[in-house]
Amino acid sequence: MEEEEDGAAEEQQRFSYRQRLKAAVHYTVGCLCEEVASDREMPFSKQTIAAISELTFRQCETFAKDLEMFARHAKRSTINTEDVKLLARRSNSLLKYITEKNEELTQFNTEQKAKKKKQLENDNTKSVAPAEAEAAGKDGS
Amino acid sequence: MAEAMADSYNGDSEPTTRTLLRRVLDTADTRTPRRRRSARVGAQKALLETPSSRRLSSPTKMNVRRHSHRVRSIGRLAHVHTSGNVEEQTPRTLLKNILLTAPESSIMRPESVVKPVPTPQVVQSSRRDSSRGSLELQLPELEPPTTLALGLLAPGRRKQRLRLSVFQQGMDQGLPLSQEPRGNASASSLTSSLNLTFATPLQPQSVQRPGLARRPPTRRAVDVGAFLQDLRDTSLALASPGDSLRTPVATLPADTVLEDTQPFSQPLVGRSPSGYHSLTCLSHTEVEDAERAVSLRTQSSGPRLQNHSLYVCPAESPGCWFLLHVRAESVLDQDTPNKYHPGKPAELLAGKAKKVDAHAVSFPNNSSAISGEDGVEPLQDGVDEEAEERMEESLSVSEVMDTTGTQGSVRTEKSKRHREMSEAVEAKEPEGSSGDEDISGRRASPELASSTTEFLQARQPQFLEPALPPSTAVLSSEPLEPLPTRLPPRARTPGPRPRQDPHKTGLSHYVKLFSFYAKMPMEKKALEMVEKCLDKYFQHLCDDLEVFAAHAGRKTVKPEDLELLMRRQGLVNDQVSLHVLVERYLPLEYRQLLIPCAFSGNSVFPAQ
Repeated sequence: MEEEEDGAAEEQQRFSYRQRLKAAVHYTVGCLCEEVASDREMPFSKQTIAAISELTFRQCETFAKDLEMFARHAKRSTINTEDVKLLARRSNSLLKYITEKNEELTQFNTEQKAKKKKQLENDNTKSVAPAEAEAAGKDGS
Repeated sequence: MAEAMADSYNGDSEPTTRTLLRRVLDTADTRTPRRRRSARVGAQKALLETPSSRRLSSPTKMNVRRHSHRVRSIGRLAHVHTSGNVEEQTPRTLLKNILLTAPESSIMRPESVVKPVPTPQVVQSSRRDSSRGSLELQLPELEPPTTLALGLLAPGRRKQRLRLSVFQQGMDQGLPLSQEPRGNASASSLTSSLNLTFATPLQPQSVQRPGLARRPPTRRAVDVGAFLQDLRDTSLALASPGDSLRTPVATLPADTVLEDTQPFSQPLVGRSPSGYHSLTCLSHTEVEDAERAVSLRTQSSGPRLQNHSLYVCPAESPGCWFLLHVRAESVLDQDTPNKYHPGKPAELLAGKAKKVDAHAVSFPNNSSAISGEDGVEPLQDGVDEEAEERMEESLSVSEVMDTTGTQGSVRTEKSKRHREMSEAVEAKEPEGSSGDEDISGRRASPELASSTTEFLQARQPQFLEPALPPSTAVLSSEPLEPLPTRLPPRARTPGPRPRQDPHKTGLSHYVKLFSFYAKMPMEKKALEMVEKCLDKYFQHLCDDLEVFAAHAGRKTVKPEDLELLMRRQGLVNDQVSLHVLVERYLPLEYRQLLIPCAFSGNSVFPAQ
């Protein structure tokens, strides 16, 4: 009985969580549609926005499953950018966009890493120097 | 009546099972209230049996049949009529009773049985009325016996057929029905079954040999004169060149010549160009008997044809020698092959005495071997230009081949088909060689025709397809089999042909399936669109598979990639796995390859 209750509660929890997610998606889609409407000067009806948000939600589910499948297919347990690229290969423009973004990110990351390395080196030298200074000081004294 | 019969039976000294059964029958008939008809029948049967019992030589047969029928009918009847013969109440007798009672008691009334029965029923009912007391077989009413009879008819059909003649004799002579037919079933059922046999006497005969009925008429009457001439011609033509290649092919003609299903045993590829000169001289006189006009025409085209015949692909491909023919002709025009000729006539003359079969068989191989290489290369150059020439030449060559011919009986068929083909070709390319075509038409071998059509199709599909596909479709399938050594000519020839062709051939199969399942007539454009869509679909599929394999760091596409694809398609999900689909839709051979199965010796295949 407790399990059933827990199960039911969990179900409800999930359901409510799902609803919240859907609401969030709906809100985001609404914002985007408003932007497009103001650009093209053509208003969007509410049903359209609702349909788009529902569609987006379901497609996200499919994407997630596919990504997981791709990662498992490559015998990995983490979803990679490669998986994302595989997912987007159908649409050429999307694939291009994603690849560019990916390159940017990698560049940024490498830069970040380079900076971090330099900082680490500086810190090391700095830490080493005072240690030596201290040692020298001790010896001297 | 039955008792009277029984009394008469008592006179029988031998207490055979048959007599016992008869007694049981009689007694059983009299006892059962529903047995009126069967009683009559049984009585008459008894009457019939008694005189004929001694005549029949195989009482056991009848008993066996009765027993078999009893076994069948026992399921239907729950009750058993002991018929008062307590001392004779053996299982056999019981079954016999059941058999007797079966027609009346069975409920089934198969309609199919009713149909054939009425017609004979009418006849026999009249008989029944007229000859109650006679020894002729009395037929019971239609309905009751038909049910059982139907069941018994099929298994006993053969027996009935055999006995039909006996029955007819008996009827003619006014004899009672022989015991053999009765042995099949009880009297009523038997008669009904006999009626059925009457009704459908043809069916068993036709069904008996369906293969023969469906087979096309194979042999025609061999025209001995023409055949001999052909032999002579072929011997002349094939004498010299065929020597080297005769041995390997020697076996073929024997097999293929006489076989109906393989009319294209050996397309007579051609003759040595030089040999033909002499051949024409020789054959002229010989051919005159059979085909005078033909010989004249062949003479004109003979040397050409012979040249062509020499240039045949070594692969024995039907189309090869056509190519070579064209080449040969061009060569002939240039007067290059003149060197050939002197040697050939002598050889031909020498080889005249040899058997035709060997010649016919070896000749194409020979000619192909000799000139294969020469002809192939230049042919490939001017494919389109010389297409027409080739067509004619191929036809003419085939004619020549035909005239030299292999088998007379096959020839007639071949000639017909070739005629059709040549006519079709002629319509498209009416030229001087039409005469040759006529010649070939008369005696064209289906092999040549098919090979021609095949080759022509490969070469000029546009204008050949409409006329040739029907004949080719029929013929092309066959020559390929008896000539496994022949290389496919299409591999070399259509260089510029786009790769669409091999792709489309696979798609056309699916398009046909599509049009079949559509159950509606479809426009050609619609089918083309379907083909296009299928093409794109499969391209996409293959691209996906490739990407999946690369994604996994592999260069080979493995079943895992396919499973991933099917998962994306939605065919495979958490409820339905790939193995389930394999089990559902694939035949066992493929299933064994895909799903690991344990075999003897502690081995699992495919290895996991």
